[in-house]
Amino acid sequence: MSILCADSPSLEELVDHYGIEILWQPSLSIEPKGKLDALIEAILKDKQRLDLLCIEGSIVTGPNGSGLYDPYHGRSKMGLVKELAEKSHYVVAMGTCAAFGGIHAAPPNPTDCVGLQFDKKTPGGLLPIEWRSRAGMPVINVSGCPAHPNAMTKTLAMLVSGLPVELDHLNRPKAFFNTLVHQGCTRNEYHEYDVEDSAYGEKGCLFFNLGCQGPTTVAICNTELWNGRSSKTRAGVPCFGCTSPDFPLNQDLFRTEKIGAIPVRLPLGVERANYMAYKSLAHEAAPDRVLNKEMDP
Amino acid sequence: MARRTVQIDLNRVEGDLEFQLELEGREVVEARCIGSLYRGFEQILIGRAPKDGLVITPRICGICGTAHLYSAVLALEQISGISAPPNAFRIRNLCLMAETVQSDLRQSFLFFTADFCHPKYAERPFYEKARDAFLPFKGWAHRGTLEHTRHVLGIVAIFGGQWPHSSYMVPGGVTAAPTSRRILDSLSILNNLTRWFEQAVIGTDLDNWLELKSADEFFAWLEASDGHANSAIGLLTRMSRDIGLHRVGFGTSHMLSYGAYCDPVGWEPGSQDPRHLFRSGFLDGKTGEIEPFDHAEIAEHVRYSWFEPYEGGRHPFRGQTIPDYQPHSDRYTWCKAPRYRHKVVQTGPLAELLIDGDPLIGSLYRAEGGNAWLRQFARLRRTALLLQKMRETLQELAAHLTDPHFISPAEDEIPDGEGLGLVTAARGALGHWVQVRGGVISRYQVITPTAWHASPKDSEGRHGHWESSLIGLTVHDPDDPVEIGHIIRSHDPCLVCTVHVLDTGKRMTVWP
Repeated sequence: MSILCADSPSLEELVDHYGIEILWQPSLSIEPKGKLDALIEAILKDKQRLDLLCIEGSIVTGPNGSGLYDPYHGRSKMGLVKELAEKSHYVVAMGTCAAFGGIHAAPPNPTDCVGLQFDKKTPGGLLPIEWRSRAGMPVINVSGCPAHPNAMTKTLAMLVSGLPVELDHLNRPKAFFNTLVHQGCTRNEYHEYDVEDSAYGEKGCLFFNLGCQGPTTVAICNTELWNGRSSKTRAGVPCFGCTSPDFPLNQDLFRTEKIGAIPVRLPLGVERANYMAYKSLAHEAAPDRVLNKEMDP
Repeated sequence: MARRTVQIDLNRVEGDLEFQLELEGREVVEARCIGSLYRGFEQILIGRAPKDGLVITPRICGICGTAHLYSAVLALEQISGISAPPNAFRIRNLCLMAETVQSDLRQSFLFFTADFCHPKYAERPFYEKARDAFLPFKGWAHRGTLEHTRHVLGIVAIFGGQWPHSSYMVPGGVTAAPTSRRILDSLSILNNLTRWFEQAVIGTDLDNWLELKSADEFFAWLEASDGHANSAIGLLTRMSRDIGLHRVGFGTSHMLSYGAYCDPVGWEPGSQDPRHLFRSGFLDGKTGEIEPFDHAEIAEHVRYSWFEPYEGGRHPFRGQTIPDYQPHSDRYTWCKAPRYRHKVVQTGPLAELLIDGDPLIGSLYRAEGGNAWLRQFARLRRTALLLQKMRETLQELAAHLTDPHFISPAEDEIPDGEGLGLVTAARGALGHWVQVRGGVISRYQVITPTAWHASPKDSEGRHGHWESSLIGLTVHDPDDPVEIGHIIRSHDPCLVCTVHVLDTGKRMTVWP
């Protein structure tokens, strides 16, 4: 449903202007489901070209490696995905589940879920890390829970229009994963001066106490707003790091783990000693309008 | 007559759906509903911090995460013995209404009406009009729905940051204040949506349309002008009735509503008689009486499910969910069978509006019963009511602009205890039953609307609602059973929800 929210480009635009023909989408296709079987057969016999294979959802490998907790006509979906991936020009994992395993792979991982080419952070999922699609690309991971609508449609638009798709170390397109959630957060000034909220519903920064992972998470939430309007952190909801391979963290998601007064997880690449020095100075420099939380985020 | 078993797959529902039916000739004589995918959502929640349910459970579902969030926060507030200020409930209600309007429009014009473009209907008089309106990515109603449902979700983003999957409802309130800017931005979205709804969906003024109070008035309205007849709801109605959808798909006559939208000023957590904007109740289909709803009357059976057996039914607070996969026994699903007062019930907009007393839906129900067309029609009737309710809610927020939206609980920690959160999601009655022990979640049970509909037989051998609404149906082409598509889609099935959550999660199959 997230992709129906895309507006730049929209799903309709992909169909109208990028020449994407949707062979099958379970919620939108008009043909009876029997058509899907014929389609799959045609693809596997190389009678139907498959340019883009978009996979949603964790790959269920249980029980005992059979994948039969998620069956399709008596066989495993896991096996089907593997076969289709071999036929496709590009394979795109839409969302953290398909990319890394996601919530279903959270402890105790009852159904033995993995991502397509990663198992959480560990390289190698359903497919080995060296696997490449027909176009010579690994699985392209548009992670997020859900994936950002415009990150999904823009990735597809880039692929079909020949724009370069450069990937990061987790095979996520850099165009959408080279920006911190923190960048563009309207609570930044509070973070800058170390004015931190300890209860919800206020105006300050959520990083020190309320579990916000904005400074450690790459995603476009605050540079390409959700539904064209806002983002969780702007609305006072912590970032839960849903584009990261270890989402959801195995700890209280609404509380920041700290050593002393300083979070365990620091903004990407920051040294603890430097950060402590900076924060104590920053608070001293804070103007009253920020200390008194007079500014609206 | 020879019996044969057919398997039927359905797309264009939230998730995948498979049915296997037993036919004598063309008549369905036996049906069972099978959940085949095991996901174990409940196990993931056990042992986690209580508030993590606010992050994990909305992600159960791509289309009704706001409803899950609302259920989850109500359960936590009951455990904590706290409530939230009226503005928090106004914002929660507004966002749930926006999500419901989105879901109802998408279900109607992306999922349900696409069936009218089926080649089987090529000879029908309505076929050209159906394709003009409802063909995916081409029809005017399909494209208008894509565009306007995208915009209405902006309201959830304005208050909650994003749709889907935010966690802005927290014990004690909501995270963002109702500011003038937020209210005006939301009103602007609502104005645009209402204009499109009037022009395209009902072909008339919203207030006038809501004035229709009886079956006679409605059918007279439908004939009164081309604008009415060729509006999206006019086409949906005429096409449905042309192919007889007002004569099929009844299922159980018992209806259940948990009540919709907590009354912002009258809400008391844990009250025996909680107040809602749309009343709760149980409509006994045999007597026609509406009785007060009591959650203690809910029990889940596992006689035909792949769980370790127990006698009879159990209330969700005492539920037991121990997987016991037995594919070659007479048990056939990962779904449990929820029952209310030992009865099979249906839920959703038809139940909601009948129990709340909407005069038009009541009149149509008395005239023709709870058929597949009326179930679909009630969903769009609700959209009209919610557009009005959303405007009222925004006006109330504007009138209470400086009132609090969050009251910090005295204790940040959720204490040990148990609580339930019952809401009306787009698809009907949704409940979360939560227990906290030792500071962490010790039990989390979810009963989704689709769980009521897709349930298997219970320990008394009573078929689930979908099973019973298919038995007796004539299927013309078992390889392409468009009749079944109409009936099941009229319920707006949400398999992903039922799949992920039903205790261990599952995907559905219905099979004889």
